[in-house]
Amino acid sequence: MTQDPTQDPLVTFDGVAKRFGSYTAVQKMDLQIHQGEFLAIMGSSGCGKTTTLRMLAGLEAPSEGVIRLSGKPINDLPSWSRDTPMVWQSLALFPFLSVIENVEFALKMRGMGRAERRARAEQWLDRMGIAEFADRNISQLSGGQRQRVALARSLVVEPQILLLDEPLSALDAALKVRMQSVLKTLQRETGITFVYVTHSQSEAFSMADRVVIMSRGKIEQIGTPQEIYRAPRTSFVADFLGSSNIFPGQLTRDGQGQPIIATPSGDFALPAGNTLGIAGQSASLTVLDTRMQIHLQPPGDARNSVAARMIGEEFVGATATIYFETEDGREIRVQKAHEDLADLSLAIGKPFHLSWSPADGHLVSE
Amino acid sequence: MRRPVSLYGLTFSLPLLIWQLLFFVFPLVFLIALSFWTVRNFRMQADFDTVNWTTMYGRAIFWQAYGTTLALAAGAAVLTSLLAFPVAYAIAFKLSDRARRWAIMLMVIPFFTSYLVRVYSWQVFLSDAGLINVMLGWVGLGPYGLLNTPGATLLGFVTLAFPLVVLLQLFSLIFIDRTLIEAAHNMRCGRLRTVFAVVIPSARVGLVIAALFAFILSFGDFVSPIYLGGGDPTTLSILITDTTKSGQQWPRAAVIALTMIVTLMVVAFLSIRFAYRGRK
Amino acid sequence: MNQENEANRNPFVNGALKLYVLLAYLFVFAPILASFVFSFNSDRFPSIPLGDFSTEWYRAVAADPLVWEGLRNTLLVGVVVGVISTALGFGAAYTDYRYHFMGKQVYLALALLPPTIPVVIMGLAMLAFLSRVNLSGDALAVIIAHVVICAPFAMAVIRLRLSQMDPSLEPAAWNLGASEWAAMRHVVIPFCRPAILGALFVTMAVSFDEFAIAWFVSGLNETLPVKVLGFLQGQVSPRINAIGTFVFVTTMTLLILAQLLLGRPDATEKE
Repeated sequence: MTQDPTQDPLVTFDGVAKRFGSYTAVQKMDLQIHQGEFLAIMGSSGCGKTTTLRMLAGLEAPSEGVIRLSGKPINDLPSWSRDTPMVWQSLALFPFLSVIENVEFALKMRGMGRAERRARAEQWLDRMGIAEFADRNISQLSGGQRQRVALARSLVVEPQILLLDEPLSALDAALKVRMQSVLKTLQRETGITFVYVTHSQSEAFSMADRVVIMSRGKIEQIGTPQEIYRAPRTSFVADFLGSSNIFPGQLTRDGQGQPIIATPSGDFALPAGNTLGIAGQSASLTVLDTRMQIHLQPPGDARNSVAARMIGEEFVGATATIYFETEDGREIRVQKAHEDLADLSLAIGKPFHLSWSPADGHLVSE
Repeated sequence: MRRPVSLYGLTFSLPLLIWQLLFFVFPLVFLIALSFWTVRNFRMQADFDTVNWTTMYGRAIFWQAYGTTLALAAGAAVLTSLLAFPVAYAIAFKLSDRARRWAIMLMVIPFFTSYLVRVYSWQVFLSDAGLINVMLGWVGLGPYGLLNTPGATLLGFVTLAFPLVVLLQLFSLIFIDRTLIEAAHNMRCGRLRTVFAVVIPSARVGLVIAALFAFILSFGDFVSPIYLGGGDPTTLSILITDTTKSGQQWPRAAVIALTMIVTLMVVAFLSIRFAYRGRK
Repeated sequence: MNQENEANRNPFVNGALKLYVLLAYLFVFAPILASFVFSFNSDRFPSIPLGDFSTEWYRAVAADPLVWEGLRNTLLVGVVVGVISTALGFGAAYTDYRYHFMGKQVYLALALLPPTIPVVIMGLAMLAFLSRVNLSGDALAVIIAHVVICAPFAMAVIRLRLSQMDPSLEPAAWNLGASEWAAMRHVVIPFCRPAILGALFVTMAVSFDEFAIAWFVSGLNETLPVKVLGFLQGQVSPRINAIGTFVFVTTMTLLILAQLLLGRPDATEKE
């Protein structure tokens, strides 16, 4: 939120790589994390997101490269000499300690006196709304309450940075949404830098100021949620987000010399002002599934269109997702509100025409 | 599941139940009756007389043996636990999976070697002209009278209990959630401090049970106190064997045995309560 | 990631710990290996330097009719104890696996507790009880007493195997028309076969080494370990080492056989 580009980054990854034997978990990575931002690192399992976080916490040693915290290299610092508190996916609360003893733990390790650390811990329990459970055992708490204990335990030292490793994945859907707003509010109020690892797009996009998308140990894209959603940089990102239809093809020019993309599903006009366009280059055209129209007849205007047969439908709440298949076998997904579908008399196997305005297309590299 | 009582089910359940009632529970209960019997002219008679209890409890040697046994067994439990812990810790946390499997397999072997033979080996090692005194002699020390000392008895107890204690500790350490250790490191808790603040509390039940087993094994062992400790000071288990094997004073031996059982039950109860203290 | 990760590793601490582990294993195996070495040593009081290589203790043992008698008793007792303990242990393991009933805790306590009672107490109780029913001083007395402490081991081994059995296997057999007895014979027992054989060997091995209870109840029908106890009480005799080595090799053979049977990953799947 409060990013000042002139300020030095809080954390920098300089060509950091991590290998486990012959397996490369993270490939030469460059990343800067700014003071006070909420950064989400997102990707499917095995993409290297958790390894990245664990290297920052000193739980894995980088095979290559330098990690700096406030400008100082921290590669050689053992975990216990870093101030990078973390919230684990399992929460890692100590079952043999009471709630308040868990929260006091880090203060005790810093040698803080008994009375003072108890007061600080109580303050944080209060702030997290769990003061009444101070003397309970961890096993007596609900999932949401444990979450709050884990947060209080890490935040009680008032760190500059907090690392979170899929902390919400064990919660049910409703609680998840509630905890998301707790986390976001907490981050805004404290101004602490949050680095949040998740595989969930909704968590990342609803909370983070910036999102890092990783795949196979590499960063695919860094940007604000809006940037990434509107303009995925690679076809991997577009595919991963799952909200776009993707047409891989070759850039070329049509009879009038206008830039187009030739794909097995047809030739499509490109959005104006795209910068990728070098004729002959491979690229993919992505179109958000909400931006596509369904017609019984070819639209017959300047819109891009493709013929496709309906193969299935799915209803979630007020929206419907209709699945089509083009003649060359490509699956296309279209999202529409129910009322927009009334005149179409949808039926499996029925031929339709799908169209979109060239301005809604977006070119990505392979 | 359905129809728990059936000929089929009983065919499998009953034999062990009958066997253990007849040959385990009944003999132990019989000890209680036996402790009130009397012996006249080297013949035992069914009776109800507290003379065995008053005689045994009136003897200084009995209480001395009781104190010795308790102290030696407690010492063995603590010593074995302390010696075994770094081994279990290293096997659990510092070895590769493959090396750990080997370490566990090797630690099982002593269970199947004769304890008598191992005690005999220690006798040979510890004797005045034995291996240890010869080696001490090379650096100009000794010879020391190592055999027939309480220290030698303890050595025997540790030999008896060490493999079991290592394995029990190991199994409680292996199942510690590794993220707890990482979380401690993450909160400025250093390596050694983590062992005391996180590893030991997490494994407490297993560690206490391991110590309890070391206590039980040592408390009841008569081989080490006789053949390494020289039978002096005497222990309860030696008293039982002597009382049983020489003459027909079985009722008195029963008094000792029952006292031992009650002691073991109290110790077991206290240790298990300590192990689970503060847990719900 | 079971092994400690590379971060936070201190080679000095790890090296010291590993050295300590090595010393601990040395301590555990020193008396076992020494006995093996001493058994081939001509000295009556072995020390450094070692005496000459000799098989005289083995010859002395082999020439002692009482040792042969003891060995015969041991083998007889061991085999019978193994069979009975395994049968009883299987029944108990199956009971625990399949049934829930009132007092199951007590049942399991009876099934598992005996090995935790000190052997002198068990020995005395057995002697007193069995002599009342005129069974003491007999190989049968040793068998009865050994089954009490061996059955729990058999139960543990077999219960472990049963916990790996898909709980719907037996109902599937009933569903296909098998009676409970037929399902036991054609499904449960074949599935448990490696564990049953393993339990047989483990219980035999436990019986082979047990000396205290056997000493109390055996009377003149001494088993080999009781004989060893006798040697230990008498003069110092390296014959103990010869017998010990022989028993060790026998026991290890049984255990390795048990391990091979239990450890074969799909022993039953192949059948």
